[in-house]
Amino acid sequence: MEIKSAAVIGSGVMGSGIAAHIANAGIPVLLLDIVPDTAKAAGGDRSGLARGAVDRMLKADPAPFMHKRNARLVTPGNLEDDIARLGEVDWIVEAVVEDQAVKAALYRRVDAVRKPGSAVSSNTSTIPLANLVAGQSEAFARDFMITHFFNPPRYMRLLELVAGERTRPDALAAIERFADMRLGKGVVRCKDRPGFIANRIGTFWIQSAVNGAMDLGLSVEEADAVVGRPMGIPKTGVFGLIDLVGLDLMPHVARSLLATLPPDDAYRGLYRDPELFRRMIAEGYTGRKGKGGFYRLNTEGGAKVKEAIDLSTGRYRRSDKPKLASVDAAKAGLRVLVEHEDKGGRYARRVLFQTLAYAASLVPEIADDPASVDRAMRLGYNWKYGPFELIDQLGTEWFAEALEAEGHAVPALLRKAAGRPFYRVEDGRLQCLEAGGAYADLARPEGVLLLSDVKRRSKPVAKNGSAALWDIGDGVLCLEFTSKMNALDTDILGLCQQALGLVGDGSGEWRALVIHNEADNFTVGANLGLALFAVNVALWPQIDQMVQMGQETYAALKYAPFPVVAAPSGMALGGGCEMLLHCAHVQAHAETYVGLVEVGVGLIPGWGGCKEMLLRHTADGKRPGGPMPPIAAAFETISTAKVAKSAAEAKDLKYLRESDGITMNRDRLLADAKARALALAEGYRPPEPAELRLPGPTAKVALDLAVEGFRATGKATSHDVVVAGALAEVLSGADTDVTRSLTEDDMLALERERFMRLIRHPATIARIEHMLATGKPLRN
Amino acid sequence: MPTYKAPLRDVRFVLNELFDVAELASLPGHEEHTPDLIEAVLEEGARICENELFPLNQPGDEEGCRFENGVVYTPKGFKEAYRTFREGGWTGLSADPAYGGQGLPNTVQFVMEEFTSSANLSFGMYPGLSHGAYNALYRWGTQELRDLYLPRLVDGTWSGTMCLTEAHCGTDLGLIRTRAVPAEDGSYRITGTKIFISAGEHDLTENIVHLVLARLPDAPAGTKGISLFVVPKFLPGPDGALGPRNGAFCGSIEHKMGIKASSTCVMNFEDATGWLVGEPHKGMRAMFTMMNAARLGVAMQGLGLGEVSYQNAVAYARDRLQGRSLSGAKAPDRPADPIIVHPDVRKNLLTMKACNEGARALAAWIGLSIDRAEKHPDPAIRQEAEDLVALMTPILKAYFTDHGFAAANLGVQVHGGHGYIREYGMEQFVRDARIAQIYEGANGIQALDLVGRKLPQDMGRLLRRFFHPVSAYIEERMEQDAMAEFGLPLMRAFGKLQQATALIAQKGLKDPDEAAAASTDYLRFFALVALGYMWARMAETAQARLAAGTGEAGFYETKVKTARFYFAKLLPETEALFRTIVAGAKPLMALEADAF
Repeated sequence: MEIKSAAVIGSGVMGSGIAAHIANAGIPVLLLDIVPDTAKAAGGDRSGLARGAVDRMLKADPAPFMHKRNARLVTPGNLEDDIARLGEVDWIVEAVVEDQAVKAALYRRVDAVRKPGSAVSSNTSTIPLANLVAGQSEAFARDFMITHFFNPPRYMRLLELVAGERTRPDALAAIERFADMRLGKGVVRCKDRPGFIANRIGTFWIQSAVNGAMDLGLSVEEADAVVGRPMGIPKTGVFGLIDLVGLDLMPHVARSLLATLPPDDAYRGLYRDPELFRRMIAEGYTGRKGKGGFYRLNTEGGAKVKEAIDLSTGRYRRSDKPKLASVDAAKAGLRVLVEHEDKGGRYARRVLFQTLAYAASLVPEIADDPASVDRAMRLGYNWKYGPFELIDQLGTEWFAEALEAEGHAVPALLRKAAGRPFYRVEDGRLQCLEAGGAYADLARPEGVLLLSDVKRRSKPVAKNGSAALWDIGDGVLCLEFTSKMNALDTDILGLCQQALGLVGDGSGEWRALVIHNEADNFTVGANLGLALFAVNVALWPQIDQMVQMGQETYAALKYAPFPVVAAPSGMALGGGCEMLLHCAHVQAHAETYVGLVEVGVGLIPGWGGCKEMLLRHTADGKRPGGPMPPIAAAFETISTAKVAKSAAEAKDLKYLRESDGITMNRDRLLADAKARALALAEGYRPPEPAELRLPGPTAKVALDLAVEGFRATGKATSHDVVVAGALAEVLSGADTDVTRSLTEDDMLALERERFMRLIRHPATIARIEHMLATGKPLRN
Repeated sequence: MPTYKAPLRDVRFVLNELFDVAELASLPGHEEHTPDLIEAVLEEGARICENELFPLNQPGDEEGCRFENGVVYTPKGFKEAYRTFREGGWTGLSADPAYGGQGLPNTVQFVMEEFTSSANLSFGMYPGLSHGAYNALYRWGTQELRDLYLPRLVDGTWSGTMCLTEAHCGTDLGLIRTRAVPAEDGSYRITGTKIFISAGEHDLTENIVHLVLARLPDAPAGTKGISLFVVPKFLPGPDGALGPRNGAFCGSIEHKMGIKASSTCVMNFEDATGWLVGEPHKGMRAMFTMMNAARLGVAMQGLGLGEVSYQNAVAYARDRLQGRSLSGAKAPDRPADPIIVHPDVRKNLLTMKACNEGARALAAWIGLSIDRAEKHPDPAIRQEAEDLVALMTPILKAYFTDHGFAAANLGVQVHGGHGYIREYGMEQFVRDARIAQIYEGANGIQALDLVGRKLPQDMGRLLRRFFHPVSAYIEERMEQDAMAEFGLPLMRAFGKLQQATALIAQKGLKDPDEAAAASTDYLRFFALVALGYMWARMAETAQARLAAGTGEAGFYETKVKTARFYFAKLLPETEALFRTIVAGAKPLMALEADAF
């Protein structure tokens, strides 16, 4: 069974977001909702709800669509006129209101028209599957499952998949495969239990963190500082998270859990509905989508003042940067945090003990193994570590003893661990302690190759302070960045050159090179802090050398006699983007954000980025004739520091070629890149060196005029004009003319010379300083 | 008997020819401070230093301060000299006119500090400390405190002190034990004992204003729990009339190696009344206002002693007839040649001279920067200047005082046995110079300040204020053949300094001991390059004057020749320093503590 078309019923935030993401996979999708009463009466758009949802999504930020054209794959419709069209699709996702009766009635209508053997799933987060299929046809029950997406569906990687007793295994496998490979989701199979895994534990954690803050007298800032970063949880902590998802959602979630959880569940004892929260909801202070939440930006009087609610008085006050010794001390480890004597330490201890003990008590009740629970929390709540990984950080024995000492029950699973960690590495394989008390290998699906697994079982082929080379099998070498924030530096360039030397002509031990890492971001470019220090000390020749080294390394990547394949995910900016431009092939994760952002710090791409962009635009056959259009196009992209918000958008901007591949699931990225590299290695021939005929000063004048226009209308600052001027000189070939042909080396020399001129400019230095200090570009 | 003439010609060269002191008159508040006026002030300052202060230097050292029943008596003549000094307006030279000061630029104050230090370091301590107290109160005191104390500190009828050190804590002020307890009227009761308090008690002024670091009852531990208080010897009425004696008593005075005419006191605060200066627990910040200015003041003490030692060494070397030049008699009509004919004597003299003049130029650059940082209308320029001053303060303090001591020693050496006896006054300069390397943050601490704080700050932003102008200067000059003589060695040493800086930043990030191990060598390296920059510019200025034929050819030719000496004989020390820096911390840390 293959999913070639789909439908989503319910065009609310989740339904429409799921539809958009199915469209992101290139699958046509029908988005249905009810006919609004107004349309019924006045003869308006009967599919207005779904159509409006698509329109809103096209304007939303972060964008649900990876590319605007994907919206065309979504066909809006309504449940009256278009219900029969459900018979055309392979998969129907229901995402309507959480009301069992409404769903039951809908399912009967769906069942009547759907294609036999089509899969039906519900996005419910609260209603047990058994209740949903009660009273439905046997065929329906066999084709039915729960696919629980997280908001926003494009970006949150978790998909909880729940099968009923009667669900066909092949239907389940088909949806799992589709979700994994086409939607890029991390699928976690869950049992049919209230809240499944992530929300069951997440809701408990939120309640525990809220109660703890109130009982121990922590401010919202202090609480978030403790139950955030130090625990590997996003820095929004608990109150920031509630603001994000909406305080008004909390009572609904709580009610449904209380209605369905077992009578002795620990959540029941924890649950509270504070007066303050009720008041905030009633008055509309529900979070970022409301008038404000636990935090708000007060813009009264012109100035933007960040404020936070005082939990004891319920009034807003100026937000403080919290200062807790325990948070500073937590760098030394989780144990240090929970053993710290200040209120932050006491708070961390209480919240972690409650939450981790609760999680440990739920295996095998809600999941077969601890690894599923950890994975769900990592992918669904963006925790860096799942509950069992956190317990391992505390030590199972220490944690069990500490629980006992405080008079808490020790969960059976924790007793079963008997001092052994939940995770261990055996013969280079990662193993997890299962509910039965024995270790088992963590299974990786077919087609998943994780660098972390490679690293666990082998030693690097070579490494230095900023990068490492790994043998990923079949004669493919993988270059990994290991520097802080993956910032590019001379060590990375050096190891890159070493890799090129190791692979040689590709006929020996190694046949291809893949550049990949598993950090959040591929790389955000050159190490700016290091560059600034070098600038401050006026190390001009050394900076010039580093520019040259980058140019030489990237040129060597481009002309290597074997294929070099980059496999980026997350941000690939500046020098990282330039690296992609020089690879024989890029296999990009769909969520790759590429851009030449150098102008933001007052520079231009200096490692061949200008040249490569110009070559790409010049090679574009669709473009009107003459030398000017490619120059203007490259100029526009670079001078405005355009960043593609997806791999698909990166193709539009020519940061990626049409021939470059896109992988939806991050876990499959390296395997895809490796396969591509091996395919290319057969009879590989490097590209021919290019030559360019450029107009020189006349083109520069034209570009300058455009920039002057932006300057006059206030869109460009005075230093923008300087930087754009340098860029224009490079792209127009400086003092050349069309009768002369420029080599790539000529272009590189030009890039380097203008780069060096800019980096000495005080306004560029000011931009670099500002970027390092604030993370934002300075508009000077 | 030693002699002293303030180096007015060289000061004029530095202020008006190397730099352009006229720029000061474009700063708000300094409109009237034209080069002519500044020169007139300095001439007057030179006169008082030469005629009033210098003659008291040797007798003051012989007599020393006397402590009797809690009272300290300064040596004979000090009271009268102080009155003359005070009445001349010198105690308020750069102070705000709103409080009766002259409002002159810091640049002038700076030069004057060199003169007074040459003439009589002990004497200079008294007004010097008042100036520090003035700065702290001016910056952090309440309006009430300022109105009461500043006019009297400015006119010199009262003097000031800085009470930081206690018996168990000097460098590490976090350990301070002196307590301050709030009283009902808003004042505080201070109790504790301070040591090494310069000018803590004396007979020059009617009142003494102590600025005291102490802990409040609720103070957090360490340096974040220290507050600053003003504690007068006599409690003044609102009109400044002296009231009852406060509980601030001198317990004894120290018997020291040098600056014997400066009283160094043990101060006992016995339930003394004081008032908070600045915010509670923010005393260290307030203290650093004094400290930074004081460190630069101490730097000038080093230069002052280097200058006076040099002058007397030259006089002696010209005068002293002994033996013959190795290359044939230079004064055949006399019984022997003056010792100035000998290369080694010349090397000693030129070392003193080149460092004095280089340091004077560097001090002028920083002095002008302080004025710019204070008064320039453009905030970006103020920031740049402030950065440069912050960066160079530890370098000036440590290098100038090391030089002062070394130069005083060379002065003794040139004098031979006569340098070792008291009569010629040379050994006093050695003894007096020694303290400047120690107080206001020992020179090792200065080096740590440089590598630990100043160097990494904002990814090296402070460094930019030095490295960029020097780099630009070298680049420009390398294109001119005439300057290659100085530009080339400067470029080489500067390049090594860049490398060393990057190396320390890189290694220090991973292991702070690495940065610390390199710190004193690095500071000296930095100073030698900074002096090299000054010498290249001075040589260039002098050559331009010679080419223009504006007269005084001898003066300018000497400048160029001294520059050559500096580049040939002193700057190469940087190469050895570079090697010791690269050698790292390991050789220092390899020995177990009990293996020493």
